[in-house]
Amino acid sequence: HQVLRVVPKSNEELQKVQELQHLEHLKLDFWLSPRGLGYPVDIHVPFPSLQPVKVHLEASGVSYSILIEDVQALVDEEQMEMLRSSRQLPLTTNTFNYEAYHTLSEIYDFMDMLVAENPNLVSKLEIGRSTENRPLYVLKFSTGGTNRPAIWIDTGIHSREWVTQASGVWFAKKIVEDHANNEGVASILETMDIFLEIVTNPDGFAYTQTTNRMWRKTRSKHSGSICVGVDPNRNWDAGFGEAGASANPCSETYHGPYANSEPEVKSIVDFVKSHGNIKAFVSIHSYSQLLLYPYGYTETPVPDQKELHEISTKAVAALSSLYGTKYTYGSIITTIYRASGGTIDWTYNQGIKYSFTFELRDTGRYGFLLPAKQIVPTAEETWLGLMVIMEHARDNMY
Amino acid sequence: AVAVGYVRYRRGGPGRGLELRALRRARRQDIDDVGHKYYLELELGDVLDKDRTVNCTAEVLYHLGHKNTAPEVQFSVEGELRSTEEADEEFYNRIRSLEKELVAENIPDSHGNIPQELEPIHLLAWVASGYLIWQNSTENTHFHLAQIKHVKQVKRSDEDLQFDYVVLLHEMVSQEVIPWEVAVLWHPRRGLRVSRDRRQPGHTPG
Repeated sequence: HQVLRVVPKSNEELQKVQELQHLEHLKLDFWLSPRGLGYPVDIHVPFPSLQPVKVHLEASGVSYSILIEDVQALVDEEQMEMLRSSRQLPLTTNTFNYEAYHTLSEIYDFMDMLVAENPNLVSKLEIGRSTENRPLYVLKFSTGGTNRPAIWIDTGIHSREWVTQASGVWFAKKIVEDHANNEGVASILETMDIFLEIVTNPDGFAYTQTTNRMWRKTRSKHSGSICVGVDPNRNWDAGFGEAGASANPCSETYHGPYANSEPEVKSIVDFVKSHGNIKAFVSIHSYSQLLLYPYGYTETPVPDQKELHEISTKAVAALSSLYGTKYTYGSIITTIYRASGGTIDWTYNQGIKYSFTFELRDTGRYGFLLPAKQIVPTAEETWLGLMVIMEHARDNMY
Repeated sequence: AVAVGYVRYRRGGPGRGLELRALRRARRQDIDDVGHKYYLELELGDVLDKDRTVNCTAEVLYHLGHKNTAPEVQFSVEGELRSTEEADEEFYNRIRSLEKELVAENIPDSHGNIPQELEPIHLLAWVASGYLIWQNSTENTHFHLAQIKHVKQVKRSDEDLQFDYVVLLHEMVSQEVIPWEVAVLWHPRRGLRVSRDRRQPGHTPG
């Protein structure tokens, strides 16, 4: 099929073209109907009618041009492009759509693309396997050295908090971009490594996509209960099992049968201990717009309370500077609620002084169902807060 | 949250979603043999009118030992909120003229999208959730509307619009997401009334 264009320059020509409209057996499809002299007429001509139409026009000396030589080819190309851009195959991390939520396999593909595009900066580590045997991947960003002091960032430990995994993807790209442009985080990468676990709870994440968008926990089955899952942010060995978590397997804050029962948690514990040189640890959640430091399991303030509070003040100021998003900050127990067995309480007690938790947008209007168009602004502003923490860690080595 | 929920219930509508912009001041008074009274100074705003805020003072009294009664709320709002008369009339007429009863689910959807014509349905649910939050809160709970799971319009012979919702309420402290059935009546001049509500029975363990 072709699309022909005629621009009638005389009434005779116009009439010839209009005649074509009445020849129904030709099955012509006018994309632009005859309007008057000088206006283009675009005719979609099926293959069998090509000869007769061209003859009709040529016989009357009406000139035409072939606008589209092969309609089917264009349709096929568009089809491929649509598949590519909408869900299936972004070819590079430059064509990846950061303004949309993605599936688990899309995010895993993204990681592989990022590593392939930046083999000297990024590598992918498998630190363990989930309950349902999904790989637990961590991206390592390093410009060299051996076991450099490092920063850890995790997103998606609570699977329904989708803006966090989406932000993690954006952070990964941001780190690579800054490094390429020798700005921003590039200076931190001169002396420190960054570890980023984007989908910290892949079983839960898959479950939010297939079955229950509001799923929070892991997908483990313990103790013969009919209920599934453990709250991975109550399963750490810091005040484990104390007030601030539930012993009921059906509860959203079930701490699990024992500390580190969840492979998603144990793998990070093992990683942190064997690495031995992590200086800052940031665990990212949503929603509420908070920046939190330990403790959640006790009212006793941490020894470094003053310093952590000062860092928080600066980090929140930096975050708000971009879009005016308001954050509150403080220790977990005074700012949000008592919570035991939490990630950053454990990491702090391990000696990782700069342990923080973010609760990203929003404050309840959309909650977990944050519109996709807020992903990038959220990631951008959060990054500014993260930079403050990372720079402080770099400048205050301990 | 209780105060905001109550104000939202009393003053919200399909064209007005009231949210908390800032908590300016809060104070708690323990009244012997009565309960705990909170004095609050709030800044509220309409989600559809970003540039305007109004001040609100509220008093919330949690009765001692009466765990099953709603807290008592009194409030006053200083300043004018954007008028929704036109939007309300338009919404009312649009729904009344529907041939088939409106049915929808998952608002917002998993990606946070709300089709524009369903935005008032969402805001109406938000108002109703204000009622549910007020009725079911204690000093140790913090509820938000997480999602409308299902909504069905029920045509009526009188002038009210009726919507039967199943909403998901997210409670922050326990982190539970609780399905709740609530039937809502609304009229542009009579406002919103909750005709019945109940926590949906049955709990999905996973």
